[in-house]
Amino acid sequence: MTTAELRVREVTLRFGGLYALDDVSFTVAPGALHALIGPNGAGKSSCFNVISGLYRASAGSVTFGEHELTAYRPNRRARLGVGRAFQNAALSPHSTVLDNVMLGRYALTRGGFLACGLRLPWTRREERRHAARAAEICDFLGIGAALHTPVGGLPYGAVKRVDIARALAVEPSLLLLDEPAAGMNAAETAELAGTIRDVRDELGISILLVEHDMGLVMDIADRVTVLDFGRVIADGTPAEVQADPEVVKAYLGTDNTESTEAG
Amino acid sequence: MSDTGTDARATTTAPPEPPQAPPRPTPRRGAQWWVRKALWLALFLVLLALPLYLEAQWLKAGQYMMVGAVGAIGLTLLTGQAGQLSLAHAFFLLAGATSYTVLSGPTGDPELVGFGLDPLLALLGAVAITAVLGLAFAPVAARLRGIYLGVASLALVFLGLYLGQSAESLTGGTSTGRPPATFELFGFPFSNDGDLEIAGVPIRETERVWYLFLALVVIAFLLARGAVRGRIGRAWRAVRDNEASAAVMGVNVPTVKAGVFAVSSAYAGLAGVMTVLWFDILKPDESEFGTYGINVSIAYLAMIIIGGLGSVPGALVGALLVNGLPQVLALYSTQLGWSTGTGEGAFTPILISSFVYGAAIILVVLFEPGGLAAIGRRIGQRLTFTRRGKE
Ligand SMILES: Nc1ncnc2c1ncn2[C@@H]1O[C@H](COP(=O)(O)OP(=O)(O)O)[C@@H](O)[C@H]1O
Ligand SMILES: [Mg+2]
Repeated sequence: MTTAELRVREVTLRFGGLYALDDVSFTVAPGALHALIGPNGAGKSSCFNVISGLYRASAGSVTFGEHELTAYRPNRRARLGVGRAFQNAALSPHSTVLDNVMLGRYALTRGGFLACGLRLPWTRREERRHAARAAEICDFLGIGAALHTPVGGLPYGAVKRVDIARALAVEPSLLLLDEPAAGMNAAETAELAGTIRDVRDELGISILLVEHDMGLVMDIADRVTVLDFGRVIADGTPAEVQADPEVVKAYLGTDNTESTEAG
Repeated sequence: MSDTGTDARATTTAPPEPPQAPPRPTPRRGAQWWVRKALWLALFLVLLALPLYLEAQWLKAGQYMMVGAVGAIGLTLLTGQAGQLSLAHAFFLLAGATSYTVLSGPTGDPELVGFGLDPLLALLGAVAITAVLGLAFAPVAARLRGIYLGVASLALVFLGLYLGQSAESLTGGTSTGRPPATFELFGFPFSNDGDLEIAGVPIRETERVWYLFLALVVIAFLLARGAVRGRIGRAWRAVRDNEASAAVMGVNVPTVKAGVFAVSSAYAGLAGVMTVLWFDILKPDESEFGTYGINVSIAYLAMIIIGGLGSVPGALVGALLVNGLPQVLALYSTQLGWSTGTGEGAFTPILISSFVYGAAIILVVLFEPGGLAAIGRRIGQRLTFTRRGKE
């Protein structure tokens, strides 16, 4: 499958006097597994929010293929092929896994109150077809057995996978993953790394990954962009970035910056 | 709705169509499914047969529960499924009641506006008008959340109180009110006119209206169930649980919110039409407590909380309790002869049932926030030992 290039160009995002993003530029090549890293509060989630349209950038542009994403409302970006899993898996806890994942099919299906309420034949056919695809995606992510279980009753690792499944159900050509391994133990993290690589290899889509676990990032990413205080301080292959003195400084200084920020 | 734009997908990023893979078996229709279907069918048959056995006053009480059922289903979609708190339900009831009376009212009356429409058209028109009024409230709903939305929507009830009193050419005013046109379906009147018998039982106005209301409840119920289980229901719950993630999944949040307000108001409008047919008079309230007052908005909230927020069958049971209890108590008190008295401070059936459902709400909130629906689900699971999470 072909996918497009994501270009973030000179994006600035201000909250009052705070620069959450300051003139940020980077490019995610088609089919790349691209990591976005940085200390807490560096602006990674904000960057995701600008790409998916939840925040409006104060300046700059985000293009995906030939589309200027900033011109689209967030719900239209799903249709353009941008899928996203959230840092705090934002799912409906009382609904089943299938029901949650089926939400990802929203932009690919049709039907409002009357069409659903009347259970018209075409609505039901469409529903069955898309439920089959959703189940397939869940199988791929190893949560196929929990299809009819409410998400609220699942262990944390499974919940994160449901969130990824829902993002994949959009049939994205660009997948945004915000700290998918947060809160997982080493074994779970290793398993997840394998899954992420499989997603990229089998679906051929680009993945932009925010992750704190450096082992995981250096292991699977093709390219890494490092943010600190809203600015890009390094961009390159994992090996290049690891050797970058600025990056080392930012990470060693993490403790100081965090404590000043918390105050 | 939000589904107009068919294809904005980039040509470069066309995703694979959902494969035509053999659809895997959807959850099996086990014994539980059949038992459930059979129970619903049995309930429906009982409701069909009741007019042959019950006296008119009990049928009247049952009709009032059905009015509540339609309204409560609408509110549970809005507040339970989509998470939009509304205290405006009574306003939309009044809007539906007035619209029906005006649309079907006789033309040529010097004091009262009437369009002389066929009653069925007037009913559909009333539902459409209240849906549009719900849409008109959408810009407010899009900006407010939770308790703020509830308070803002309450303003509509006061607007209704004022308009009901001042727009006498529509409502007939508080002193006399205005009779609605008898409902007719393709010329068949829902009155005592014409002879009709089933198994030796004359089917007169009360029985006919029972069947009319039963049909309306069934339609309202099936539409709501289908919607809740389908694509639009998923969008409602997504908006309720997390607007940001709903938007990222492709849901046009403002549109979906506006849509569910329209749907819910349409249900309230239909309940309003049923209210005015039940009372056989449109009479605007004199104070904020009455047929279309704050107390009614709160009663509808009570129904859906007791039934379990978001549950369509739960809304039915909630309506049964909240609208049924005062009716049934009133009938018993006259039959048993406990003179309850009237006037300030008297223990009227309405007062007693207010206490009862007040207590029911507290019990539900404390011990089973999922309401009767959750209790019912638990019993169902215990009986069958299968788990089928839904909704
Ligand atoms: N909605 C918001 N309003 C105000 N400040 C915000 C908002 N969102 C993020 N920020 C600020 O922007 C900075 C970057 O936050 P975030 O993007 O969440 O960082 P990260 O995901 O890298 O930990 C932080 O200082 C945070 O407090
Ligand atoms: Mg973050």
